Amino acid sequence: MQCKDLAHVLESEGLGTLSAEAREHLASCLDCQGLLADFHSIVAVARTIPAEVEPPARVWISLRARLEAEGLIKEPVEVMESASWWESVRAVFRPRSLAGATAGLLLVATTVYMTRRPSSVPQAPQPVAVQAPSAPGPQTPANFGASPWAPPATAAVATRTHTPAALPSKVKELAPSPSEMASSTLSQAEMDLPDMQLAGNSRVDASLRENLKTLNEFIAECEQHLKQNPQDQLAREYLYTAYQQKADLLAAMMESGRSEH
Amino acid sequence: MAQAGNAAAFEYLYQLHSRRVYALCLRMVGNPADAEDLMQEAFLQLYRKIGTFRGESAFSTWLHRMTVNVVLMRLRKKSLPTDSLEETLEPDAENSGPKRDVGAPDLRLSGAVDRVNLERSIEKLPPGYRTVFVLHDVQGYEHNEIAGIMGCSVGNSKSQLHKARTRLRELLQEEVREQAREERKAAKTQTGSLD
Repeated sequence: MQCKDLAHVLESEGLGTLSAEAREHLASCLDCQGLLADFHSIVAVARTIPAEVEPPARVWISLRARLEAEGLIKEPVEVMESASWWESVRAVFRPRSLAGATAGLLLVATTVYMTRRPSSVPQAPQPVAVQAPSAPGPQTPANFGASPWAPPATAAVATRTHTPAALPSKVKELAPSPSEMASSTLSQAEMDLPDMQLAGNSRVDASLRENLKTLNEFIAECEQHLKQNPQDQLAREYLYTAYQQKADLLAAMMESGRSEH
Repeated sequence: MAQAGNAAAFEYLYQLHSRRVYALCLRMVGNPADAEDLMQEAFLQLYRKIGTFRGESAFSTWLHRMTVNVVLMRLRKKSLPTDSLEETLEPDAENSGPKRDVGAPDLRLSGAVDRVNLERSIEKLPPGYRTVFVLHDVQGYEHNEIAGIMGCSVGNSKSQLHKARTRLRELLQEEVREQAREERKAAKTQTGSLD
């Protein structure tokens, strides 16, 4: 056997068990010994390279959006477990309705809140962020300070002081989008909560507040995500659903009878 | 279920195969951004064509074939004129035997190969060699599976693998020589500065 014959054996048989003839050649050929040793080294190192690598969660999010856009998916998808930024609230935010319907419900909830709210109670004015149309989403540090993704207040956000009763006219004046209006109104409602003196020692209230905190973090995350990917319809849908959830939650907190007002 | 557009089934398939498909794309293109893009493209094609899957081959083989096609198509678009894919996919009758560095000093790699320089060398392989090497030596597929994925014969797969290893050896030897040259140069500079 010659060197080229051994090379053919390695090609067709691999690096496994070699024939007696091949072993005999190897024993007397330093070049072929070197070749085989190098092949073994290469294969040994290659096997330390991971055969599986976890892809970033954004790949599935983006893929899912494309599948939905193409109509390949015919029903809403649950968010996969590895998509960490959705994960913490997936149980709460299973899509229950379409975005448009959600926005409509939200406005109804907001209206109910505005009409049921006792207007005769004297209240200290609360600073509320009224957003310019070009700056979507709530950005008051008071609302989203707990979120690591909360954007800092910018020049585009004008901080004004007014009473909640004045809010609808302000909103109309600025002609914001439904999401901006919802966000602003919800922020106002949330800021009024401390005045309602919920029973702080109640486990139910603690749970409600915890849910509210989670919601706020999720909303901030959605808004941040939408700033970076304005075309992400799924994130928008989640945001609307979150607004609706927040409206429901705030309504529950106000109507639970725990208010001293 | 996925064939009927069931969302949960799509997600299940993705979760089941994405790590392996992503790793393959990553090794093939060498950068995460392109790998993500290619993986997404592969899964998109998979979902588009899932209605045509009849189960003649294993599902993972089908998916990997789709992935390899997507990757090779991309590499073909990007490749230099000298780096013809056909050359690397079809066995060359005249040069089917492995090349040997006749007359070159025997340079043993043992101890000189690590993951970093191997991965760098893998990236320099022609796409066809790279695919077979990654599928066989990194991902652990057998030649008959690779033949199914690549749409070639088992013999072709074996030949490609052998050529890939031979080429990798050359690339790694070049790297070792380059390192040795650098070290000599550095030593010389040091000696000069001492004098």
